[in-house]
Amino acid sequence: MTAQFVRLLDELQRRSLRMASLVEDIVQEVCEAAFDADERLARRAIGRDKEVDAEEVEIEAETVRLMALYQPVGSDLRFLCTVLKVNNDLERVADCAVNIAERAMHLDKSGLGRQSDAVHQMASIVRRMLRSAIQAYGVQDAQSGQSVFPEDDAVDALYGQIIQSIVADAVRQPDRMAAFLDVLSIAKNLERIADHATNIAEDVVFLKTGEIVRHRGGE
Amino acid sequence: MVTTMETPFGSDQATTPLGVTVRPRPQRLKETNSPPPESVIAADRLTIRYGTFIAVHDVSLEIPSRQVTAIIGPSGCGKSTLLRAMNRMNDFVPSASVDGKLLYRGLDIYGPECDPVELRLRIGMVFQKPNPFPKSIYKNVAWGAAINGYRGNMDELVERSLRQAALWNEVKDKLQQSAYALSGGQQQRLCIARAIALEPEVLLMDEPCSALDPIATSRIEDLIDELKSRYTVVLVTHNMQQAARVSDWTAFMYLGELIEYDDTNVIFTRPNEQRTQDYITGRFG
Repeated sequence: MTAQFVRLLDELQRRSLRMASLVEDIVQEVCEAAFDADERLARRAIGRDKEVDAEEVEIEAETVRLMALYQPVGSDLRFLCTVLKVNNDLERVADCAVNIAERAMHLDKSGLGRQSDAVHQMASIVRRMLRSAIQAYGVQDAQSGQSVFPEDDAVDALYGQIIQSIVADAVRQPDRMAAFLDVLSIAKNLERIADHATNIAEDVVFLKTGEIVRHRGGE
Repeated sequence: MVTTMETPFGSDQATTPLGVTVRPRPQRLKETNSPPPESVIAADRLTIRYGTFIAVHDVSLEIPSRQVTAIIGPSGCGKSTLLRAMNRMNDFVPSASVDGKLLYRGLDIYGPECDPVELRLRIGMVFQKPNPFPKSIYKNVAWGAAINGYRGNMDELVERSLRQAALWNEVKDKLQQSAYALSGGQQQRLCIARAIALEPEVLLMDEPCSALDPIATSRIEDLIDELKSRYTVVLVTHNMQQAARVSDWTAFMYLGELIEYDDTNVIFTRPNEQRTQDYITGRFG
């Protein structure tokens, strides 16, 4: 039965990585939709979220099935726990991407306005974080997973700057409040994606070492 | 070769009270961060041969008091040989010979001062297949105590032993019936009651559930969990889930050697040795 179990684990990993790849594509698309005010791209990204939702449910069901039937221990147990957690984070990333897409469709002709550079920079870091976390997950490399952690601080700092900048602008131009909230929401969802990428990287550390490295700031 | 290993004893010491070399063990989980348990049985560089065949090679480990220690490993790894050495059951194998030390509370189990009959009163054993005597349920429990000159109230001893073995409620109205009329799981609990009646300190269990169905197995596992408040239990099992469920400490043996010995939580979630990892995940064995 071990050979069969190993084969099923391999299939599950491939499936989880395919979903990760799909989510990464969607994030890429919504960022472009936001920067280029491309409504068609935004709608396409929103449509692809349904694929992610369906896949999330199937991967979760398969993981639970393997846990129940094979009662894994050691690295197999850590792998299945990691698949479940990463699965959840990926689905949440896709939800954040949908939020960004919806806001992108509302942007007025001034687009991201004065915050455009900071949002661009933020999106660039977030996409790099997501890619690194998914790659670390794919090759199960805790070391490269850890490289994601410091980038989350940079994203948080940019998000703080954007909030301050929007607050200042909103005081001067209260009539554009709706547009400012769209930009704020895009930044907020990018920041959430960075958090999920960090979670995935933390899960890779657990997968390889068994150490739970969450909540490092609290220690 | 000096065996260096984890033990449940002492956190940073270089040697145990018995002189066994240890390296600092990994950080323990917070909920198990209690004082180091007392050692009851200790093997120090123990080697056991059958003729020229080495069944157990240079093994050092300590068995903590009133906890459950599981010994796992593939067939032929020496786990039953090690267990049976602890109350000298290997004496019945003419070609068996022992090197190194095996101590029970400081007493050299294979030394001239150790009386094996006396030793087996302190270190009882439960075997793979239930083996009740062809006698009544009552006599199965009372027999060992009677021939060892027990002078207390025998009825009380029988009831207490059967209660501790979680069998009393099922047999209290048929104590004079043959033990053979019991189911396999009940017979195994009767054998545990029989061992308990001698008031041992240690119970050795060699695959105690391998002949039982899942329900009977579950009863025995619950019983083992209850027994550890009074007894030190050493359990040999092929069933890794069982080791994970019932034991506090797990020793993994392979080809006669002790590969890893650690907190059961560590062994089954993040073992330190690749061979342990491969075995528990079914990659070999």
